Amino acid sequence: MSERQNVLEIRDVAVHFGGRGGLLGKAGPVIKAVNGVDLDIARGETVALVGESGCGKSTLSNTIVGLQAPISGSVRISGDEVVGANRRQLNDIRRKVQMIFQDPALSLDPRSTVGATIGEPLIARGVAKGKALRERVATLLQQVGLRPEHADRYPHQFSGGQRQRVVIARALALEPDLLICDEPVSALDVSVRAQILNLLVALQKRTGVSYLFVSHDLGVVRHICDRVVVMYLGRFVEMADRDTFFANPKHPYTKALMSAVPEADPEVQRAKQRFILSGELPSPSNIPSGCAFHTRCPLATEICSRERPELTPRADGARVACHHA
Amino acid sequence: MDAAANPLLTVDRLTIDIGGANVVDDISFTVAPGKVMALVGESGCGKSLTSYAMLGLLPPAARRTAGRIMLENTDLAALSERQFRKARGKDISIIFQEPSASLDPLTTVGSQIAEAYRAHHGVSKAEAYEKARQMLVDVGIPDPARRLDQYPFELSGGMCQRIMISIALICGPRVLVADEPTTALDVTIQAQILDLMKKLVADRGTAIVLITHDMGVVADIADDVAVMYAGRIAEIAPVHDLFRQPKHPYTALLLASVPKLDDAPKADLATIEGTVPTPNEFGVGCRFTERCPLATDKCRTEQPPLFDCGGSHRSACWHIDRMAEIREVAA
Repeated sequence: MSERQNVLEIRDVAVHFGGRGGLLGKAGPVIKAVNGVDLDIARGETVALVGESGCGKSTLSNTIVGLQAPISGSVRISGDEVVGANRRQLNDIRRKVQMIFQDPALSLDPRSTVGATIGEPLIARGVAKGKALRERVATLLQQVGLRPEHADRYPHQFSGGQRQRVVIARALALEPDLLICDEPVSALDVSVRAQILNLLVALQKRTGVSYLFVSHDLGVVRHICDRVVVMYLGRFVEMADRDTFFANPKHPYTKALMSAVPEADPEVQRAKQRFILSGELPSPSNIPSGCAFHTRCPLATEICSRERPELTPRADGARVACHHA
Repeated sequence: MDAAANPLLTVDRLTIDIGGANVVDDISFTVAPGKVMALVGESGCGKSLTSYAMLGLLPPAARRTAGRIMLENTDLAALSERQFRKARGKDISIIFQEPSASLDPLTTVGSQIAEAYRAHHGVSKAEAYEKARQMLVDVGIPDPARRLDQYPFELSGGMCQRIMISIALICGPRVLVADEPTTALDVTIQAQILDLMKKLVADRGTAIVLITHDMGVVADIADDVAVMYAGRIAEIAPVHDLFRQPKHPYTALLLASVPKLDDAPKADLATIEGTVPTPNEFGVGCRFTERCPLATDKCRTEQPPLFDCGGSHRSACWHIDRMAEIREVAA
């Protein structure tokens, strides 16, 4: 049975905020954070979700774990529908999907020992208690490169990188199918960043967990991901497998992102062809007509402000939403 | 013009003490007009304290115990607070990482920029506003007249950082200290801000001391780089020499831990084992010893001086001749 097994299937998901009666009964603007996206992630696969602040990537992550209800669409995790699930169903689904965030200090209870923090999901689910619980926590600590005796320490006794290891251990305690990593290494120092990336790769090899890796750092993305999705103002503008994506980026926004990320090599960086975008991201409460990127796009023509380009497949397998790419 | 011959800013053997530990230990470097000196290092290496000392902004617990910070013929470190008020903004300015945290939320950006100008020039408000408007044009803000009347919350992060740069530069300081100026910004906006800084350096001859942990930013904009570790300079060199031929194990490992274009996907990245020592763990020898693949007994007991490696490239390591071994570890 070599068929592709999807741990995540998103179909036509849209998430809007506001619009209902605000102060003094006036209707506020509708913020269209996510506007109809489709995405599959296979077992053991790492998909990077790339985009800038306000593009909707965090809203989409929250929707996947059921923290945010979409106005339409479907989200399935290992076959189970998240949208419209009741509390008990959501509870069951959430053991299959976990999330880690940028700042580990904010994700840990300063008054709980690390052992209690990692063991909490196991107790809550009735998976283990007593000696079995302690053993399971010790194993998890070792899996993330910490020592069993660390279980008795508090978060402030650890460095930033070690805290992120604790957060990862807790997220993996229930052996989820999918781990959503929201900028997991952005707050870490460079040498520690490499340690955590190596750990995520090693854990995936061992457990087959899938990652949705939300990041703005294309160097990290190139290193860790199998496929890349680029999001702009609530829509996907390009998706491709890693090699195709980096060898032959197609959407002008993707090209702009790539040229904006400075390479850690002065010769490469200073010889690089620059493609600097003018202006800033428009507000998601007032998305430009047609292609949302046309206001900043150097290739834009008349059709771009009129007709929204669909994601269409290209010869090399990439899918791109652009009239001119 | 030879950079070393005509430095504008000279930090000379600066040492800063917190609670009995030298958290900045004997730091020296120079910056010439129109040049960018990057101070690079990880959290706790002393790069930010060094920059705060240049502005007289050291926290109360920190004390300069030795060294000078010469801006041409003035020792900034010896100025009183009253004298510093005259120098800040006019001779030397700073911009921080989080522009929204540095701007007053209750004051329009126009009056914040104008206020900075009026602090050093006895001009009318109207004149100061006109200066502010010109400044916004210089930093590339469209529709400057309208922007002047807006509050920080009405502006994006990139726009706020341009406002901060306007405030820092309106009195034409000769030195700009930029403490992680683009870390909080999106990459396309970061590229805009870095280009703006390059343009200002070229047009005005401002000397920039750039504090960053991002080797990509260093590669993009720096002329010279000082790599700091646990309060000391590990290595200092012109940017191309440092990236091409690092002469300190810490620099080499730091560079190797950044994912590269030609890396195999998901291959193990080079890491630096262990963690940065806290000030009470500083030994008498090289502070990188415990994490260094080249360390010997000598490293533990004797502090290496900054050895001259030629072409103003210097490294504080006893084992510069064994750097080939590091390249094997890193590869």
